[in-house]
Amino acid sequence: MLPELLQSTDAGGLLIIRDFASFSGRHLLKSFINASLNRNEAVHVLGFEISKEELKHGLKEPNNQRLHIHDAFSDPLGWTDHPAFTVQQFSFEELTHLITQTSQHKPVNLVIDSLSWILRHVSPTVVCKTLQQLKKGGAVRSIIGLLHADMHQNGTVGSVCHLATSVITVTPGTKRDEAVAKITKRSKSGKVMQDEEMFIINEDLTVTIQNKPNHAGSKRTDSEEQESDPTANLTFNLRLSDTEREAKEKLALPFVFSKEKKTALLHSGPGSGRILYEPDANDNYDQEDPDDDLDV
Amino acid sequence: MAAPVNSVGKPSPERLPLNTTSFQKKTRSKLISIPGTRPSVQNGQLLVSTGVTSLDYLLGGGLAVGTVLLVEEDRYDSYSRMILKYFLSEGVVCRHELFVATAQDDPDDILQELPAPILDDVAIHKPLEQPLLSCEPSNSLDAMKIAWRYQNLPKVQSALASSSRFGHYYDVSKTMEPEIRQAAKCHRFYLPEHPTLSSPTHSPVLESYSALLKSLQDIIHKEGFDVAAPMSRPRNILRIGLHSLGSALWGDDLTCHDNPAHRHALTTFLYGLRALLRSSLAVAVVTVSSHLIQDRALMGSITRLCDNAIALESFKGSERETNPLYKDYHGLLHVRQVPHLNCLASQLPDHKDLAFKLKRKQFTIEVLLDSPLTTWTRCVQSISSCW
Repeated sequence: MLPELLQSTDAGGLLIIRDFASFSGRHLLKSFINASLNRNEAVHVLGFEISKEELKHGLKEPNNQRLHIHDAFSDPLGWTDHPAFTVQQFSFEELTHLITQTSQHKPVNLVIDSLSWILRHVSPTVVCKTLQQLKKGGAVRSIIGLLHADMHQNGTVGSVCHLATSVITVTPGTKRDEAVAKITKRSKSGKVMQDEEMFIINEDLTVTIQNKPNHAGSKRTDSEEQESDPTANLTFNLRLSDTEREAKEKLALPFVFSKEKKTALLHSGPGSGRILYEPDANDNYDQEDPDDDLDV
Repeated sequence: MAAPVNSVGKPSPERLPLNTTSFQKKTRSKLISIPGTRPSVQNGQLLVSTGVTSLDYLLGGGLAVGTVLLVEEDRYDSYSRMILKYFLSEGVVCRHELFVATAQDDPDDILQELPAPILDDVAIHKPLEQPLLSCEPSNSLDAMKIAWRYQNLPKVQSALASSSRFGHYYDVSKTMEPEIRQAAKCHRFYLPEHPTLSSPTHSPVLESYSALLKSLQDIIHKEGFDVAAPMSRPRNILRIGLHSLGSALWGDDLTCHDNPAHRHALTTFLYGLRALLRSSLAVAVVTVSSHLIQDRALMGSITRLCDNAIALESFKGSERETNPLYKDYHGLLHVRQVPHLNCLASQLPDHKDLAFKLKRKQFTIEVLLDSPLTTWTRCVQSISSCW
């Protein structure tokens, strides 16, 4: 599903890349930026964590007119007199103003590197509200955010990911450059799709998908084993040969009633409690007092 | 006595269900008969249907008027949203008034997604009718050679349903027609439309919740849902649907922090809501993302403050998805609390292992027949019934 997400042009989506200290999701983020630029879309990047030059490094067209990197790395908290972009500017009105100022009316993708930085200085409720407003508002077509899941409490990560339409969780794979991506995508109709893929990011920031991780294969062999025949490998015989089956069917059953009696019993009308009794050979059905022989 | 429910839409001749007489018991209760409600057989409370007949059975026949149902959301909020939609659709079909409050999506979006009701009587049959007797008895007799007496009996009853025709069934693949939907009066509360200042003071109630409570109070008073209001106009029920309370979009950090600053905001709101509902002809369904709330003690007090509480756990994304025991179902349903209104003890359902499945025409809640707890319960029941 990863290639589809990279090429998707859905509007109003929030995609969150969750990474950990063991594997950085920034390369995947750069792949998304690259893919977006290839489609001739405008990209605005809020760079909190690394400098402008580092962000541009590795991109196919670092000096593309449509790429706008807002430098929030040099002075994010506004300690100098003229900060480029501060964390307080992360609000719906300011961002819309910023985007409409620098871009003509083209679909804009907003890339946030990273949401964790913002969450440390702005309360999660305000961040969630801003993200929701950006999702609904018209200035930004889609938002991609990087979130370091081990930096926050579970509730915070959960709340932010609850708003997202797609979440990609990257963890390191078995081999050196490989990583495992667990993808959850929510469609507009409410359907949830999940996938797990192994991928490698190449030098030119394109993504190559490897085989699916191994434990999916072992699950399949388990279910095959369960379907083996339980009557095999026993010390006694549980199977019937053809003659034995015939003999079994010819056996006279004890409560053999005539067909009419069976249908009468089965299709008795509602509320009729008829007792149909056929005296057996051993029954002493005497109309008179059956307890006659008792000496009481 | 079962009052026939008026069907909305195309006028159809009123068809009495089978096996009813024209005998009507003279009731001396002061309850005015409101369409879509019926008195409970257990404690005489006025009940409304939740829209899901299996859920009505689990809650003791239906939702009592004046109570709150808490639905703990599943991970991706698909099935809890569905239950909210069933609840609102039932209100439209029974001609109740609706009140929808959301912070995430516009209430009109939810109202446009309401499922279409199945209005003909054929679909509203008891889920386990006896199969129609075929005209060739020999075929049916050959079906079972030894156990032929059990041929016509239904299979084990695993679906739960009330015996009377109280709720309606809905087709999830179609949306309700706009004419039917617009016939119902709907009040909406969309949080972004109510600009609230972030309160710097350490008040126990958040601005958003107090605005919501005030809005509810205004509507109940203005539209005459108070129990104490003069009986000049015909009475109706107000169905309140509150989506995803406690989430970050309501301004509450209950789901964000392990130790939330607004610890008592949601509990205070629920307390006020319940007090408001007890004195009005209204029912509320509240959904909460409980899987994000880390403090279990707080979740416990939220559950205690609502009268009914159920939790949905969907299999999507968890390792239970591949478990063969659960392959027929979409998730597990836990009944956390059943109210005891005006009585000492409540009627908890017999079986604790319940699973749900969203089919096209029905949201079924069934007992997990193969689970160890169910087999143990049935064992105990059959042994105790021998004495």
